[in-house]
Amino acid sequence: MDYRKCAQEIFRHVGGRENLVSAAHCATRLRLVIADNGKLDMDALEDIDGVKGVFSNAGQLQLILGTGTVNKVYDEFLAVSGMTAATKEEVKAAAAARQPLPKRMVKALGDVFVPILPAIVASGLIMGLLEGLCKAFPTLADSGTYTIFHLFSNAAFVFLPILVAVSAARVFGGNIFLGAVIGMIMIHTDLVNAWSVADYVASGTPIPTADVWFGLFDINLTGYQGHVIPVIIAVWIMCQIEKRLHKVVPEMLDLFITPLVTVCATGYLTLTVFGPVFSTLENWVLEGVQMLITIPFGIGAALMGAIYPLTVVCGVHHMYNVIEAGMLSSVGLNTWMPIASAANFAQGAACLAIALKTRERKTKALALPSAMSAALGITEPAIFGVNLRLVKPLVAGMIGGAAGSVVGSMFHIGATAYGVTGLFGFLTTTDYIVPYAIELAVSFVVAFAVSWFLYKEKAPETASAPVSQAETTPALTCQPGVVYCPIQGKVIPLEEIPDDTFATGVLGEGFGIQPAVGRVVAPFDGEVTTVAESKHAIGLASSDGMELLIHVGINTVEMNGEGFTLHVSEGDQVKAGQLLLDFDLELIAKKGYPTTTAVLVTNSEDLGSVSVHAGDQASLDPILTVKACVSNN
Amino acid sequence: MKSFTYTITDPVGIHARPAGLLVKAAKAFAGAEITVSKGDKSAKATQLMKLMGLGVKGGDQITVSVNGGDEEAAAAAMEDFFKNNL
Repeated sequence: MDYRKCAQEIFRHVGGRENLVSAAHCATRLRLVIADNGKLDMDALEDIDGVKGVFSNAGQLQLILGTGTVNKVYDEFLAVSGMTAATKEEVKAAAAARQPLPKRMVKALGDVFVPILPAIVASGLIMGLLEGLCKAFPTLADSGTYTIFHLFSNAAFVFLPILVAVSAARVFGGNIFLGAVIGMIMIHTDLVNAWSVADYVASGTPIPTADVWFGLFDINLTGYQGHVIPVIIAVWIMCQIEKRLHKVVPEMLDLFITPLVTVCATGYLTLTVFGPVFSTLENWVLEGVQMLITIPFGIGAALMGAIYPLTVVCGVHHMYNVIEAGMLSSVGLNTWMPIASAANFAQGAACLAIALKTRERKTKALALPSAMSAALGITEPAIFGVNLRLVKPLVAGMIGGAAGSVVGSMFHIGATAYGVTGLFGFLTTTDYIVPYAIELAVSFVVAFAVSWFLYKEKAPETASAPVSQAETTPALTCQPGVVYCPIQGKVIPLEEIPDDTFATGVLGEGFGIQPAVGRVVAPFDGEVTTVAESKHAIGLASSDGMELLIHVGINTVEMNGEGFTLHVSEGDQVKAGQLLLDFDLELIAKKGYPTTTAVLVTNSEDLGSVSVHAGDQASLDPILTVKACVSNN
Repeated sequence: MKSFTYTITDPVGIHARPAGLLVKAAKAFAGAEITVSKGDKSAKATQLMKLMGLGVKGGDQITVSVNGGDEEAAAAAMEDFFKNNL
């Protein structure tokens, strides 16, 4: 088929570029976020050669094109429409916009940071290990091995602004390469490395300056190594400028003018306006924390231990080396390090609690290495990837950090160097081994416990319906909007169910299961609304408004109930985990029917976007989540 | 109101798949309220679960009624749908 023609026709019938918010594709569908559904010509879309089906669902227009075709049409569609690549998550995010501003900002921060976490985790772990080993074996620092691994360890941090800028440009809808340029400007080698500023200050070397705005004032030529927030702000501004320009600049001149003006305007504003504003704020924070830690009786230390992670979020923590160096040269003992250590270790502990408690695989996979990295003193993955997004673990870590800092201050712990925190901190606090161990233990226990108790996966259970059958109901607290696995087996995406009616989503969003055992249990608390006479399909309504169809096997209606044993009838109230139906897997296979079972949210159109965990699942693992499941029953 | 009766020829009746197709066909007529009834039970043609709950089998006689919207077109489309699918 002609992919280009198909893309052009789709583009025409969705109301053109103005009506498109973003585009993405999954294995079989082109997913578009549409500004005004009224401008869609659904009939014309369905008639396009190559389009096998069209749905409008939760602010997304989905066109079924099929495996192998959809990606080619998508590429053409981007070319035809002039849009940039978006991931499926971004499309979902665009559809889910309209949240309050602070929530959106935290979400944006997370969205920017999560894709680059693998890079940060790798660097963080190498850096933690390497610095620790160096303190243990001082000769290592002079070896070639160290030099080489040192490159690996800090590359992602030195060039962090570029990673952040690329990711931010994607999130804010700008050109990712222009975003990269902004990131590069901010850490250009002609600027003084932010990590070296402490050395300049210590040695009294003046930092080079440049006059800006026609001599109005001078700025320090320092880079933004290790920064996050200023980069995100700069790229956000860049995207606003770029998008505005795309609208006003005639198409013919767009490629000349838009990138040129975007880079110049954003770059100049960044270095001359928010750069100075930010470094002024940074200095205030620095002076503030120095005053803070002079408050006696451990109060100052406690406060600092608490706010420390917030200063990491703002990116001012690299300036703390200045304080630490100052302490070492004046009194020979670094009493700042125990505070930083307690704060970092506590963030790791809070993150570890999440790793152990969460049932979401993705979060678990993220939280575990992040917690390890934090234990070695590199907290960015834990803070940005996990704690800040969930908020509660961040608070738990702050409390733990405060508690640990008080211990450190009580024992007057001091380090003989700076730059290492967490477990490797023992190497620089050799006179205080036991107190330091107590401090870390206190930070850990407090943060872990608070995080464990504060964090709950989504909201607690809503008032559940009375139970008619108490037996055979395992203890399971249902979350609203979650479908737990009704059959043990392998969960596959909807599109892979070997039956068009199910696979195209005509009956609703959902997933398939290749059953390992012939036993169906209730996937949530609710009511049995329908039972097919042939016993192969059950309809359920959840207490929070989901309608679910569990359809065992394909075409098994023709078995007329043979091999199926029902344990419930219409109108029964059921609890999650309660046995609904036994079926004879072998008999179904012997009769020549696929055993693949469809589990579909038949009113998904009214509920919002649906996400599914595929893979091998035990009975009652949470599989499907309906975002913003509204109680409308 | 337009209505017609139809005798189901497909032996397995209105099970999940044809019910789904019926819902899809019925949703094309947003303005019209289409009802399928068998005996004293009835269901809106846009409600999948209710349709399946009717338990319509081969040989059963059902009544389809269309209220409001483009009644003529909707009734004709429904009649076509049943003839082709059930």
